[in-house]
Amino acid sequence: MRRRSLFILIACLILTALLTLPTLAQETEEEEPAVIAFEQPVLITSIGQSAGAAQAKILAMRAGLDFVYEQRASLDDLEGMKALIVVMGASGKGLGAAGVDIDAEIEWATELFDRVRELEIVIIAMHIEGSSRRGPMSDQINTTFAPRADYLIIKGAATEEEAANIDEAANGNIDGLFTTIAAENEIPIAFVAKTLDVVVVLEDLFPAKEEG
Amino acid sequence: MTHITTRLVRPARLRFILVLLILVAGSVLTVSGGPASHDIRPGYGVTDLRWLSDYLPALAGTPGDSPVYVMEGKEEGGTLLLLGGTHPNEIAAVMAAILCVEQGEVSQGRVFVIPHTNNSAARYNDGTYNPTSPQGIDLITASGETRHFLYGSRYTQIEDQKVDPEIFVHEPSGLEFDGIEARNLNRNHPGKADGTLTQQISYALFQLVEQERVNVVIDMHESSITSRLANMVVAHPRALDIGAMATLDLEMAGIIMKLEVSQEEFHGLSHREFGDYTDAYAFLLETPNPGQERSIEYPDVVNDPKAPLSHRVRTQLRTVMAIIENYTLIAASDQAIGIEFPFSIDELEGANLGEFLR
Repeated sequence: MRRRSLFILIACLILTALLTLPTLAQETEEEEPAVIAFEQPVLITSIGQSAGAAQAKILAMRAGLDFVYEQRASLDDLEGMKALIVVMGASGKGLGAAGVDIDAEIEWATELFDRVRELEIVIIAMHIEGSSRRGPMSDQINTTFAPRADYLIIKGAATEEEAANIDEAANGNIDGLFTTIAAENEIPIAFVAKTLDVVVVLEDLFPAKEEG
Repeated sequence: MTHITTRLVRPARLRFILVLLILVAGSVLTVSGGPASHDIRPGYGVTDLRWLSDYLPALAGTPGDSPVYVMEGKEEGGTLLLLGGTHPNEIAAVMAAILCVEQGEVSQGRVFVIPHTNNSAARYNDGTYNPTSPQGIDLITASGETRHFLYGSRYTQIEDQKVDPEIFVHEPSGLEFDGIEARNLNRNHPGKADGTLTQQISYALFQLVEQERVNVVIDMHESSITSRLANMVVAHPRALDIGAMATLDLEMAGIIMKLEVSQEEFHGLSHREFGDYTDAYAFLLETPNPGQERSIEYPDVVNDPKAPLSHRVRTQLRTVMAIIENYTLIAASDQAIGIEFPFSIDELEGANLGEFLR
């Protein structure tokens, strides 16, 4: 009789434990930061017509993304896309070659962003050319479009302490502009010290699809 | 006795003065008539010596002719044309090319190196941009020998070409520049066989690229320290992927080079015209030269603390290697190019450049 009671007690304990564990596990999971994952294919384009978008193309290749690259994308290029990567950075020569000025570029990119929102496509805004793309023209682009992104990837230092360890030319966040934009607009932001580090960020954001 | 002495000395003095005059006149004639020579000591990697006039005979015997050092690897592959001294005052470009000739070895393919691409401009420094910049630099080799290298001009020497037009009209685009640009090699591409000396130099380069089936052209340059061009790779649109991959690799090695795509309106410039008129991938490199900074009086183009020559030469050569490595990644295996040095290029950083020369 005693042995039977002991058996029932142990069985109840095990059952209680089994029922409680998932709750504990769930509580533990809830403490982890939310995993951000975007879908492919991806359209990669430039806002400002610098050569940064060409580098983003190489980064996307190395990250194994399914992507289309258009230096100056049209609205039609969004067809079938699940994500848009824009590389922000104004080049006077690049804009000249495209036959536009900075105002026309902003107007075009605004149209692109508006259409992207209608299509419910996510936007990743990159700034990967360091301080050379932080002049007045580039900042017109940075301050207009970074706040409208769903995710920011910035080459530069996240903090002043980190800035001491990074080449000034490579720091696109030297005055904390992107830190402020991300905080004010609650946009997740990833800082990278070197451009090639963007590959790892892209791999995390766009996990490879399961085969079969 | 005095009289005899006088008689003996006078003819000797006259003879000496006469000989001196002949020598001076001779050297001037040589200088203005033929190509300038330079202290370049080819290493074992150099397998052939040609001249620009081999590609345009009209250049033979003119100040525009220049030696072309051919370095051929044992394994067949692609071909690189490496240009230094398009603007011979951009001294890191000249020295990077000379170092390549003296110490480089080609493992695969062929490399054509021209250290003084505009040899007329190399003859002396006309002081463009900075009249206090030097006429030459001295470097001390590992054996203690002092070697002298000319620090030239941006432009073909005026005495080698007819008077500048008021407006220089680039051919064939019709684009207009200031008259002085008629003597700027990097505004004259793709050149003209029966044109000015500068146009003929350019034409010979394009003939070389065509005849030798060059796959990659790299034109090494320098800018002022404060120029936006400093530390930049300019790539023809067809070469942009290679440029992007190269600059990413360089950054991982701690060398930050901005990337810019060659625009269509850049007529006359090497990165545009070699890409447009030939099948080659065309690049132009820029490092910062204190000698081109107007505000620096008597610039030290060798030991400037912010941009020493050895650092700039290292940047040029590392960039050349990064471009070649990434070109090789996308090229067919039988078109690969391999260059090696008997030392790590990074050893140039903080070192005396002369110790790496022969």
